[in-house]
Amino acid sequence: MAKTSAVLRKVGMGGITGNRYAFYISCAILAVLLVVPSLHNGYLENLFRGVLMFATLSLGWNIIGGYTGYVSFGNVVFFGVGATVSSVLWQHYQQQNIVLAIVLAAIVAALMALILGFPILRLKGHYFGIATLGIALATQEIISNIDWLGGGSGFTIRQAGFFSEYYYAMWAICVISLVATWFIARSKFGYALVAIRENEEAAAILGVDATKYKVIAWMISAMMAAAAGSVFAFANGFIDPPTSFAVDNNVFPIVMAILGGVGTVAGPLVGAFVLTAINETLWSKFPQIHTLFFGAVIVLVVLFLPRGILWLLAVRGGFRGFINSLKAYRV
Amino acid sequence: MSFLRIENVGMRFGGLQALDDVSFEVAKGSVLGLIGPNGSGKTTMMNVISGVYKPSAGRVQFAGKTIADVRTHDVCKLGIARTFQIVKPFASLTVRENVAVGAMYGREGSKRSTQQSFERSQELLEIVGLARVGDKAASDLTIPDRKRLEVAKALALDPDVLLLDEVMAGLNATEVDEAIDLIRTVNARGVTLIIVEHLMKAIMSVSTSVVVLAEGKKIAEGLPHEVVASPEVIKAYLGTRFAERQMQLDEIKREVQLAREVEPGAHA
Amino acid sequence: MNLFFQILVNGILVGGIFAVVALGFSLVWGIMNIINLAHGSFLMLGAYIAYVLFANYHLDPFLSLPIAFVVMFLFGYLIQRYIINFVVRAPILTTFLLTFGLSLLLINAALLVFHGDIKGITTSYSGANFSLGPVTVPWSKLWTLVAALVITALMQLFLTGTKTGRAIRATSMDIGAAQLSGVRVAHLYAIVFGLGSGLAGAAGVLVSLSYSLQPSMGDPFLIKAFVVCVLGGLGSVQGALVGGILYGILEAFGSQYVGTGLQDAVALVVLLIVLIVRPTGIMGKATA
Repeated sequence: MAKTSAVLRKVGMGGITGNRYAFYISCAILAVLLVVPSLHNGYLENLFRGVLMFATLSLGWNIIGGYTGYVSFGNVVFFGVGATVSSVLWQHYQQQNIVLAIVLAAIVAALMALILGFPILRLKGHYFGIATLGIALATQEIISNIDWLGGGSGFTIRQAGFFSEYYYAMWAICVISLVATWFIARSKFGYALVAIRENEEAAAILGVDATKYKVIAWMISAMMAAAAGSVFAFANGFIDPPTSFAVDNNVFPIVMAILGGVGTVAGPLVGAFVLTAINETLWSKFPQIHTLFFGAVIVLVVLFLPRGILWLLAVRGGFRGFINSLKAYRV
Repeated sequence: MSFLRIENVGMRFGGLQALDDVSFEVAKGSVLGLIGPNGSGKTTMMNVISGVYKPSAGRVQFAGKTIADVRTHDVCKLGIARTFQIVKPFASLTVRENVAVGAMYGREGSKRSTQQSFERSQELLEIVGLARVGDKAASDLTIPDRKRLEVAKALALDPDVLLLDEVMAGLNATEVDEAIDLIRTVNARGVTLIIVEHLMKAIMSVSTSVVVLAEGKKIAEGLPHEVVASPEVIKAYLGTRFAERQMQLDEIKREVQLAREVEPGAHA
Repeated sequence: MNLFFQILVNGILVGGIFAVVALGFSLVWGIMNIINLAHGSFLMLGAYIAYVLFANYHLDPFLSLPIAFVVMFLFGYLIQRYIINFVVRAPILTTFLLTFGLSLLLINAALLVFHGDIKGITTSYSGANFSLGPVTVPWSKLWTLVAALVITALMQLFLTGTKTGRAIRATSMDIGAAQLSGVRVAHLYAIVFGLGSGLAGAAGVLVSLSYSLQPSMGDPFLIKAFVVCVLGGLGSVQGALVGGILYGILEAFGSQYVGTGLQDAVALVVLLIVLIVRPTGIMGKATA
């Protein structure tokens, strides 16, 4: 019994630096995913491109929400902005270069996070969450009202012939995001973020310039989300505000990060896979009420897996330890 | 150019005058004990010196700079570090990681890589006696170990001045002795210390000078055994009647002493 | 100038509803530090209760107010007592997502039962107005405001006058001390949440008089509740009332001069400004 838990701890959290095994396994899984386009199965390609997209969004959220502890409830704004950048590039400049779109989207999002970050990141806890939600909603409305950006009806985007190009692009972004998270988790910067999360005041006393690092973290998460959005726009062929700012794109990444393990390197990826699997299963078995079940899934995950799968693997004391940890939250 | 100077510092919170025109100097390499009854303003003074509060009046001068002008995260870069009475660990990080954060972002932090910061952290853990729990989560520590962690984190900043805020509260006799040894070790490495403590034994055995606060004002300053015997200090701690009785007692003792000196030699 | 007064009055009239919505939200947030993302769907359920009673029993919505309140109170009590209480002390993300999942459940359940088509309640007095000088005031909106004021007054009385009310305020100040004084916190929390959802249900009934019904109708009110709480401050009845009316006026003028499409954006910009400049709100006390 003791041996099993010792083994399990190996694939668990590994502290802030991220568990080596979890990371290598994630890389392996991503390598395998490269194979998907050659299967010539449109459904699978869409499915796994979706997984990669959500994994990227979740990894991005994890940086500001998981590591830094600033729970953003509006990171979808960067995804939406990224998607809008792509649609504008095509509509007004006839540009289809995916790399250009990604880079431009990332720059715009980073600037947004930089400018908004200073005032917004001063807010704590609930207030920060609400403020980010507000920003997302306001931005959606503003874009809906500016015709040059697509207005309420959005733009269609003519897709390039090589459809799988978008799959590979999304894959590349996901890999970059995962590797970036890995390096952040082992760097001084990563420790600054976690210190801010654990006790911002103590961190400042120890010399951490909290404002600077929080803003940088948000910029990084913004860039990841925007990159994913810009690729999504091309892959989807059509972008309008309800699509790009969809609630799903806001909430799923968060639930995935929680499901996999908040503040871990591989957690978001694990969560993206598991949640997509659950979603697809529910969709195919209960097409009418799948959103209903999905709400139930979220409730169950939050109640019983508040720290995620990876943490579950690392918990000491077996089942009783697990139950005890849940008790800490109740009144 | 003095090392650390507290100049006419006053601190007001609404209607409460927590500190009132306090001035003293701290000599380099010394151990200054800051004592006084509860509510006398000791922790407030610590907060002002470490830059957590900006004083309503006066200033603290150190290394050619006024502390209040420096941003919170830059204070440690000047060379001042402190511990907190209510400890503030990074709960889910290990002990080693906790100290490493200080090593990464303290005064010498920019010169260190992650690896080097961890090495420095391990050194400090050994100095304070936490090496055996280096891999434990900070939230799993005993009280004395949490205090040690606070000190280690502060030391990780490579400070010239270390402020210890009641590190010995809640420790038993053996642990107090260990803490006193630690303070001596740290001082021997060239760190100037300012200690707030209620434990007289600790203050007496470790301080090179003492400042006494009462109701926000400085009422005494000097060598430990002088200060502790002064009537003002006794009055502040134990009340006027006790002080007067003590003075009367001292008078009587002196007269008895004189009488005894005279007697053996027989008549005047 | 007449237009100005008309807009002002419109804003005040609708502000009453916002006040009731915000009050329930603010109680739960201020006392238990829970942001209930399902608050909008509770409002929606209240509206549908009014609809069902009206369509099947011709019960006037004002009369179904107490029914909706009681039903939603019990509903909220049970949810808090047996679901949310499990994670009350968890980090905010947990409760955020839990209530979000709950709202998904409720909205989709409503979709199944009532379908997505838009429904409405038309009473005999629906279109009737009277004139107050240059301003036209619809009767139903006026009564709505009166009902809202009555509800807020009753709530204030409850919180300050009754033993339970005082226990609630004590718990919000210091949960440990309250427990030591014999307060059964789990039960109390459930009562507070029940009050919150009861108020949301009542607001839903009021909304049903002036707006159309569909399962997703609650979410805009959730955002408004946020803004009102931030404007008026947490945990105070007066704050919710002042904030609600203020917000109603802001929205009325906003939609007139910036257009209805951007009125949410305007509100959110106001929210952000207030959050940054004065997070405790115009009337609130400092909370976490």
